This record gives sequence, structure tokens and C-alpha cells, in this order.
Amino acid sequence: MAAIVSLRDVVKDYDLGKVQVHALRGITLDVPQGEFLSIAGPSGSGKTTLLNLIGCVDTPTSGSVEVAGHDTSKLSERQLTELRLHTLGFIFQSFNLVQVLSVFQNIEFPLLLQGGLTVGERTKRIEELLAQVGLSEHIHKRPNELSGGQRQRVAVARALVSRPKIVLADEPTANLDSVTGQNIIDLMKELNHKQGTTFIFSTHDPKVMAHASAVVKVADGKLAENGGNPSGVGGAAAGVEAH
Amino acid sequence: MEKLAVVVRIAFRNLFASRLKTAIVGGIILVGALLIVVGTSFVGSIVGGMSRSIIGSAAGDVQVYSSKSKDELAIWGQMGSDPDLAALDDFSKVKAALEKVPNVKSVVPMGISGAQVTGGNTIDLALGDLRDAVRKLKAGDTSPKVTQAIAAEKAHVRHIVTVLQGDQKNRAEIVSDTRATNAEEDAVLAKASDPAFWQSFDADPYAHLEFLENKLAPLAADADLIYLRYIGTDLATFGKTFDRMEIVDGTTVPEGQRGFLFAKMFYEENVKLKSARRLDKIKEGIDLNHKTIATDLDLQRMVRENQSQTREIALQLDDVKAKEMVARLQALTGSKETNVEKLLAEFFKTDDANFHARYKAFYAQLAPLLDLYRIRIGDTLTIKSYTKSGFVKNVNLKVYGTFQFKGLEKSALSGSLSLMDLKSFRDLYGFLNPATEKEMQAIEKEAGVRHVDRKDAEAELFGADSEPAPPDTGRDIVANATPGLNAVDAQNAPAAAAIHDKTVASAAFSQSELEHGAVLSAAVFLKDPSKLRQTLPQIEKAGSDAGLSLKAVSWQQAAGFIGQMVLLFWAIFVTAAIVIFVVAVVIINNALVMATLERVREIGTLRAIGAQKPFILGMLVVEAVVMGVVFGTLGAAAGAAIVSAVHAHGIGATADIMYFLFSGPRFQPLLSVPSLFIAVGAMIVVSAFSSFYPAWLAMRISPVQAMQTED
Repeated sequence: MAAIVSLRDVVKDYDLGKVQVHALRGITLDVPQGEFLSIAGPSGSGKTTLLNLIGCVDTPTSGSVEVAGHDTSKLSERQLTELRLHTLGFIFQSFNLVQVLSVFQNIEFPLLLQGGLTVGERTKRIEELLAQVGLSEHIHKRPNELSGGQRQRVAVARALVSRPKIVLADEPTANLDSVTGQNIIDLMKELNHKQGTTFIFSTHDPKVMAHASAVVKVADGKLAENGGNPSGVGGAAAGVEAH
Repeated sequence: MEKLAVVVRIAFRNLFASRLKTAIVGGIILVGALLIVVGTSFVGSIVGGMSRSIIGSAAGDVQVYSSKSKDELAIWGQMGSDPDLAALDDFSKVKAALEKVPNVKSVVPMGISGAQVTGGNTIDLALGDLRDAVRKLKAGDTSPKVTQAIAAEKAHVRHIVTVLQGDQKNRAEIVSDTRATNAEEDAVLAKASDPAFWQSFDADPYAHLEFLENKLAPLAADADLIYLRYIGTDLATFGKTFDRMEIVDGTTVPEGQRGFLFAKMFYEENVKLKSARRLDKIKEGIDLNHKTIATDLDLQRMVRENQSQTREIALQLDDVKAKEMVARLQALTGSKETNVEKLLAEFFKTDDANFHARYKAFYAQLAPLLDLYRIRIGDTLTIKSYTKSGFVKNVNLKVYGTFQFKGLEKSALSGSLSLMDLKSFRDLYGFLNPATEKEMQAIEKEAGVRHVDRKDAEAELFGADSEPAPPDTGRDIVANATPGLNAVDAQNAPAAAAIHDKTVASAAFSQSELEHGAVLSAAVFLKDPSKLRQTLPQIEKAGSDAGLSLKAVSWQQAAGFIGQMVLLFWAIFVTAAIVIFVVAVVIINNALVMATLERVREIGTLRAIGAQKPFILGMLVVEAVVMGVVFGTLGAAAGAAIVSAVHAHGIGATADIMYFLFSGPRFQPLLSVPSLFIAVGAMIVVSAFSSFYPAWLAMRISPVQAMQTED
């Protein structure tokens, strides 16, 4: 399968005044379409930076990041945003729902940004998604009326509503208890299977990692040496561990 | 469109989401809109009242005067003096020229000036009446009417002497130092109260009168100088053009006749008996402004003044009337006191409980014994002025009545200008037309211009014992346009006297005389007053086309410093509004920056999931605008409610300046409808303006921020 995300010798330095932080020190990685990839590593290992680069919210200092065939360093800020809107979905550690909008409106938001759908089409799509994430009866509630797990389900629905090729999730279970976290991962996995959406998520929870079709371990801005790649995910790339 | 809808939806939801921000920003916007509505309505009502007063009672829309004038036209004077204006020699030419301008509706000839009048001193009036009666007696009229009049006036004068002696005694008691009392005054009073003086009166009445007039009268200096400001105009045209004018007392001046009309408010304020005027004002304060004597210092002051200043009434009473007054006052107050002044003081000791009864009693029982006005309708007013060519001019004018303007009854501005016929005005101002100039030269030649020594001037002027005959049977009140300049131009006296006699004789005049004579200015009414600015140059052009050098000014300019004040009010209000705006922008800006910083993650999230920068910018500006609309509307509504409430209840004037500003005793502002839209509009602008910087900050928030954890 063709790689939907492809990183070549990616280096990312942050210039914090006098100190230079080398967040990523040369990463090469290919993620095939339909992967359920976990990026693992301790805090400060650079996994969030890696996710940001794949998520097109940041561009590499050197090397190239290709997302769905676009070299992100060659895109303008505006084009990157377009790419995020149409190709990527995001799930955040703290859910990041818009507090003043209802569940329905939160999920609808990316569709409104995209435009092109009628009210009926939007409503149908959102209702289907809500049924899938099991929140049909909460459609008009506000985020603060929901539990953490429910909120994250809304976030999942929001990430998927625009039918993106890739969904990025940054520690999606970190703020949830283990049972709820498990449910979210199960939901993500189910959607991954049904719709073939590529999921890339960071976590440091081994139980979550266990669900991944592949695991990439990051340490000190590099892919960890010990990672194998028995299933051949990511082709020749090192550090990808499959289950 | 749908994006805008969702942005507006987010904006509305955010009103409730961030309560502190909403409270601060919304509060400021609300107060701002409220201030604009209330301020505009209040200032607009004040300015509107003043403009209506200025336009409707004197200026018209435009005033036209000679561009050769040294000063600018100022209807209400310039710091107490009249502007030096060049005359427009022939009004008919001016009128003909102006009527060619399409926007001109009507033209009224005018001259505005002022003179100081000594309003009747009671003792002067009594002595004058006495002298009249004596003169009739000497002329051979021995009818009982004349002898009775002499007896009554003698009694009145003796009563006045008693009152004055009482005053003297009181003063002596208060000031124990004998040096403070005046021996000369005591001697005069002693002589005037001596029965022997009065027994010898009939033997040589003129000598006695002279003593009384020269020595006694100055002691009773209760006469105030009244500064009269008047418009000389074609009264018929004036009445038609200033169509809100109405006669209150008396009648209008018959066409072709000389005459004087008092402005009602001026007449009440300056000519009425002061005690009565104070009663009126106390009543107004209680009835109209819901004040009470118990709590209001101003009313208390007036009550005190009425108690202490009873002499003006006491001096008016002769023996018969004094007795009647005492009887009535005793009945009214239940007091056994016999002294009129003490009884009056008791009567005027009013409080909230008895005021209305006393007020009624005053007008029903006491007023019939008194002259309520120092100058009565039907009296002849002698206005004396120094003309521009230096002559003393006397014009005797019958006071025909008082007038006011409908809707401007309480305006101090409108109520300050009295009216006289244009012919008399021209005489007083000293206009010379070619005919009178020729006549003047003839008279001067005939009289011969002689040198007269200063010491002989008086004799030259008045003759040894000549008595200028009063032209009317009413009383004479002498006005003096330039007090303190009494020894002027003695050389010209004979000529002046001749002209004086002539003007008194030729009382009537024709309309064509009015039209073809000189005027100082002309009031112009426009068909469309909103085109005033464009019409001014047209008028000046029409003037120059007709060979006249005319200057046309708006009513605002014509009103002089009062017109400037109208502008000043707006300037102050606008400045205050701008200051408020700037402060509001700064505070709102700060609040919005704080709010934006709290929303970094939310905005980062929106950016991450695909919102472009302009979307974020628009979102924050729309949010601010939504607040501007919501709270601006609330504020405007609150402002409208306040203005309506104030309109319903009114604000009572408590100081003279407030009477002036409010154009009356009560301020009832009208809601300015445009101000509602201006207020909401201005608040939208303010809020949008305040949101630019925070929105710009928000636009720069990186989507990376979304990834950061909550703390």
C-alpha cells in the first residue's frame, strides 16, 4: 500500500532565544494508508512535534514531510490550513470542543468551514456519526453537560465528519480513566476498520499501544533502535513495531 | 453565509460564556449608548429651545445688515454694549433685492438697541401727580376733583415721609454709632414731617414741591434702573411674520401709530412689584417644580425677602389706602398690630401650609390697593437716547400692551426683547434721511449755533423755570440710553429741542414712510431653512447686484455670544463624547485582549481543524459587534426610558442660568430619535474598533497551541 504520510530525514529545531532545542533529529518514516499507528515515547521525546508535523500545523526545519502527496514545506500557511481542513482530522488530549456550541454544532463546524453540503446532508451525516459514537441522545447538549468520555467521542465525531484521510490523535486517552480510554480506542479502531481511515495517535500507555497495528517509538528526537517492523509497515523505515 | 451564521452563533453564545468580559464590555457599551441618547436629547433640547427662541422671536433664519458696519451684528448685544452697525438707508431697496432670492420667504425691517429706563420711583410719581394737580389749580381749575387730588397726594407724601422716618429710626437702632446716621437727612425728614411745612404748602406750592423733589425724593431711592432692550420694527409685518407672537395684556399698537410693547416676561420680571413677583415665583416653585418652602433654600430666601422688603408696598399707600390695608391685613393674619410694614412682614411669613391661601388673598385683597406694575399699560414711556450724531432725543411712547411668543412663553431669550415702532426707533437712533437733514440745517441756521458756558448750560437747556409738558395723561417714565453723559452737546440743544418737539407732534406715519426709511438690519425667513448655508451667499449676491453692500449671517451668528453658546454646548458635548469613546475603546480593548488570551486553545483548535486566519479575525470582530448591537440597543433603550421619564417628570430649574438654558422653569427634554441610531451605530464602531487589536492577536495564534494541555 502507498504511504499516505511520508517523512524523510526530518529535523525540527526550536529556537528558544539563546537555547536551541533539537526536537527531532532526523526521522524517516512512511505510514501506509489505513494504518492504526501508535507513536510512543516518554514526555519530551518529540512525539508531539512529530504529530504536529504530520498534522500540518508545523513545518520541518529540514527534511520533507509529505501528507497525502503534498510536501508541506512547499505549501503556504493558507494551503496548509486547507490541507488540514480537507485531509486531516484532529483529536486532542483535552478534547478541545467549543464550549459555547452544542454537540451537533461542534461536529458541524468543519463541514461549515468546508462548505458545499446542504443542511439536510450535514444533518444526516452528523446523525449517522453520532449513532456510531453512541451519542444520539446527547445531540443538543453542551460539552460541559457531558462526561470526559462522551466529550472525547464528540471530538472523534468531529474529527471524522469531514471524512479525512488521516486522523491525528494526541494522547487521546490521557485525560480519561482506563475503561473510558479503552472505549475510545475501540471506537477509533472500529472506525479505522470500517472506513479505512488512517489513524495516527501518540500515547505512552502500553495498553493503548497494544491496539495499534504498528508502533513507532520515539526517544530523544529519533526513532528508537529496538523497534522492529515485522509486518513491513513503513517499508524500510526503522522503529516501526507492528502487532 | 453559513460561515457567518455560525460565527454569529458563536458570538451570541460567547456573550453568556464569558460573563466577566461581557459584564465589563457590555456595561461600557450600555453606558456609552445611554450617554449618547441622553446627552444628545438633553443638549439637543436645550439647543433646540434656544434656537427656537432666537429664530422665532427676533432673528428669523437669516439676519441681513450693512457690510460697512464696524462690528458684527449681535441681537442680544455684545457684553452689554450695542454693536456699531452702519444703517441700510432704504429698506424698500433691501426688501426688493432680497425677494429676488428664490429661497427667501419674507423680510422684516429691524433695528435693535437698548436704553436704560428709571422705572417709577413711588415718591417721584406721587410728587408728579401733586405737581400736576397744583398746576391745574393754578390754571384756574378749582373743581372738587382737583382739590381732592391735592389733598390725597399731600397725604400720600406725608405718609411716605412717615415711612422714611421709621426707616431712619430703625437704622439708628441697628447702628448705634451716631456718626453713621446722617444729620442732613434727619433735618430734611424733620422739615417734611413738620405740620407747619404742610400748612404753608398752599401759599407757595412750587417752592415746597421743589424742596420735596430735590431733597426728599433722593432719600426714597427705591427705583431701579431698568435696562430695556427693544426691537424697532414694522410692527404689523413683524406680527405677521413672527406668527407665534400674541398680545397678552392690552392691545397691539395701531397701524401707523407710535407705540411700545413690553415683552411679557421682561414686564413681569422687571416692572412688576417685587413682592408680587416673588410670590409668583414661590408659587411656580411649589406647583411646577414640587419644591417645598420647608426644604428649598431658594424659596426660603424669597419668603425672607418678602418679609423684609415691605417698603416698596408701604410707600405706595396714602393714608386712606394704608388704613384699608391695615384693616385687611389684620383680618388676614389675625394680628392686632397697626404698623403696615410689620403686618406685611407677618402676612408674608408663609410656609407650605398657608402659602396658597396667602397667595390668593394677596391678589384678591391686597393687590387692588396697589399698583402691581411700576409702568402700567397705557402709561407713556419716555425713552431718552443720545443719537449717533450726538443729539439728545426724547421719544414719548405709549405702552400699548405686552406680548409673548406661543411655545416660548418661558424663554428668557425671547422674553427679553420688547418692541417699538420703527419710526420711533429711527428717531432714537438718530437716522437722518435727506429730508430731515435739510430740515435740521434750516433749524440750526434759524436757531444759530451759540457758544454756551458750562455753568449756563442748564439754564440754556431748560430755561429758568420751564416745565416740559407731558404729552399724555398717563405717567412719565424717563429713559436714558447713556446714563452718566448728561452734560453733552449743550450747543446743539436748541436744535435738538426743536426736533424733539417735532417728533412728539408727528405721531402718525404712513406705511411708505416705514418702507422707505433706514433700518439697521432685516430678519429674513426662508422657505427651506435647511438650505440656510447655500442661501447666505445668494442673499449677499442679490444685494451687490442691487448696488447694496449687504452681509447675511445665520441666526446663530446674529445671536452673538448666545449663538456661540449654542455651538459651544455642542462642542463640549462632542468633546466629552469623544473622550468617553477613547476611554471606552481602551478599556474594551483590554478586556477583549484578556478574553482572547483565555481562548488561545479554542482558537488554536479552530485553526487546527481548518479555520483560516481571516475567519478568526472575522469571528472576533463579529463577536465584538454583536456585543455592540446587543448592549448598544439596551443602552439606547435605557437612555430613551430615562429621557422619557425626565420628560414626564421634568427637571425644575433651581438657578437663573437653568431658567435660561431650559428656556423656562422646567426642563422636559424630547427624545432625539436619530440619537438612538447614532448611539447604536457609534457603539458598533467603538466595539469593532476595540476588537481589531485582540482579533489581530488571535489571528496570530498558532494551531500548535491547540495541542497544548489544559494547564
